[in-house]
Amino acid sequence: MNARVYLLLTLGLYAVGALHVLVHALTRRRLLSSWSVTAALAGFAVHTASLSQRWTEVGHFPIVGLHDGASFLAWATVLAFLTTYVRTKVDALGLVVYPVAFALVLVATLSPATEREDPILKSLFLPIHTTLALLGYGALFVAFAMGIFYLIQERELKSRAPRTLYYLIPSLEHCDSISGRSVVVGFGFLTLAIVTGVLWSRAAKGVYWTWDAKEWSATIAWVIYVVLITARQRTGWGGRRAALLGIVGFAAVVFTFAWMTLLSGASHPAS
Amino acid sequence: MIVVVGVSHKTAPLEVREALAVPKERMAEALACLKSEAHLAEAMILSTCNRVEVYAGAAEGDPADAVASCFASFHGRPMGELEPFLYRVSGEAAVRHAFRVAASLDSLVLGEPQILGQVKDAYQAAEEAASLGGGLNALRNRSLAAAKRARTETSIGHNAVSVSYVAVELARKIFGSLKDRNVLIVGAGKMSELAAKHLVRNGAFATVLGGRTFERAEELAAALGGRAVPFEGLRGELAKADIVISGTGATGLVIRKEDVEAARQSRRRPLFLIDIAVPRDIEASVRKLEGVFLYDLDDLKSVADANLRERQKEAAAAEAIIDEEVRDFLSWQKSLDVTPMVTALRHRAEKIRREELDRARKKLGPLSPEQEAALELATTAMVNKLLHTPTTELKEMSKSGRAAEAVELVRRLFGL
Repeated sequence: MNARVYLLLTLGLYAVGALHVLVHALTRRRLLSSWSVTAALAGFAVHTASLSQRWTEVGHFPIVGLHDGASFLAWATVLAFLTTYVRTKVDALGLVVYPVAFALVLVATLSPATEREDPILKSLFLPIHTTLALLGYGALFVAFAMGIFYLIQERELKSRAPRTLYYLIPSLEHCDSISGRSVVVGFGFLTLAIVTGVLWSRAAKGVYWTWDAKEWSATIAWVIYVVLITARQRTGWGGRRAALLGIVGFAAVVFTFAWMTLLSGASHPAS
Repeated sequence: MIVVVGVSHKTAPLEVREALAVPKERMAEALACLKSEAHLAEAMILSTCNRVEVYAGAAEGDPADAVASCFASFHGRPMGELEPFLYRVSGEAAVRHAFRVAASLDSLVLGEPQILGQVKDAYQAAEEAASLGGGLNALRNRSLAAAKRARTETSIGHNAVSVSYVAVELARKIFGSLKDRNVLIVGAGKMSELAAKHLVRNGAFATVLGGRTFERAEELAAALGGRAVPFEGLRGELAKADIVISGTGATGLVIRKEDVEAARQSRRRPLFLIDIAVPRDIEASVRKLEGVFLYDLDDLKSVADANLRERQKEAAAAEAIIDEEVRDFLSWQKSLDVTPMVTALRHRAEKIRREELDRARKKLGPLSPEQEAALELATTAMVNKLLHTPTTELKEMSKSGRAAEAVELVRRLFGL
């Protein structure tokens, strides 16, 4: 089977998970059942197969262009979700991750695969730099989603009239602590991604830093997360402000990724 | 046939239910009376504050009316007085009713957990009074199992609907685990005690702020395994507290916005304030402070209402489970019926008799009407006598709950 067939299969499995979790949210039973977890696990396995198949087909690490970028981002998001779920059993995250993974894989299947021969794509920095960045994005996405959940749950509790989401979303404390831990993990990967990016730039172009928009936004995101983590650890900062800052940080991350895949296309390493 | 006759919160006001309640000490008497007067094979009485119901099993016919009049006479009331409140359900409807009651789908507070134990106890009492037979015993096992299934597979029992439990659940939604959280109790009233007990049971540590009578605070603190502090310590304790339950009888405010603001200076963690006093103890504007969640009695009640609506949604899922279990039970019950087997046996014997009779006639040639009658009589008697023991035994075995075994045996012995 070729990579596209695997990807379509992945799309189907994520669709099953997304539908299941949404139906459950509406009927208010337990959010994740063995069904949706199985769908996510199977989807993730097939997705991994799709990526490795694509790697052999295209001849370089499959992260160039929208097709591969979206697919890989979905993969990293699902990985971050599964890791968080195994550790915390917080199922509300599925409410966001399943639809997002489905949407990203849908985008991947609908967009044409970029085929490009470029010696720079043969560089060992490509798989290392991009994998680190994507793992970071996955963890930061989890942190972002938990931050949003925190704000929603806070609003529900303040309103004193609970609605659907009050029942589905975990406690404030859980949202805050999971978000806090995910930020640390995501920040770690982000830092390593920036370091490898700098080294790659040096190796490819002879300069460490070019100050393009992507590098700017990555730096801004990095600084925001430094502030967030220090504030959390030094002053016991958390809750609402941490959630809001985490959302701003994630916006910068999204911009970095979008710039790389959409605007600059495959030209990023050489740009 | 199983019938249920009774009154419940749906059909009768409290006075009527109280008047018809069967106290524990009269249970055996009531059961004996029902059995002898209404000619019941089995009887059980479920008597709670929301319902008084007789579950009865009769060998033949529908005993609902007999049960109703017997029930009236037991309480020394004319039937006419009871009639408007009484419902009677029999057969499949009675089975469904019994299942729904046990699963708390017919309860005043949907999904309330006590009913399961009450139903269990009622069957137990009937068993002790030797008024439980195969029919009701099977109903007991299956309906209790179905109720447990409905409870574990749906969240009909989740989301508290009483004010003090609502407070605990809200605390969980804020803090996650309640372990080692500090609860400050201001004013040692009944309801604050109840809510505090739930919190302490979940691992929270209680501090009781004394009012005019410090002994009362000390008593409560001892009961909660916490400590008592004089009222002057309010601000200091407020700074340490995660959860505050205030329920004093004071006419003015006890906790003001500036108290809370002062307490919040040193910490950022959420603060959950529960004001169960009327008039209220805590200044309402503290609600606007970041990380402060204030709930008064009305708020807790509205959350309880919302929770009840959640349960009602879950009830549909629970009803589906009960439907399935009732269907299973009914088809199982049907399999116990040995009548079709008895009929088949008789048909078979009759067919053999006729065939053999015809064969004998061919050999014997023409017979006189008297001879013909004698032959008919002899063969019929023979068949009847032979089948008498198997049929009665079949019915006996089915009564003692071995129907399937009996049917299988007869099927094999007679090649049916």
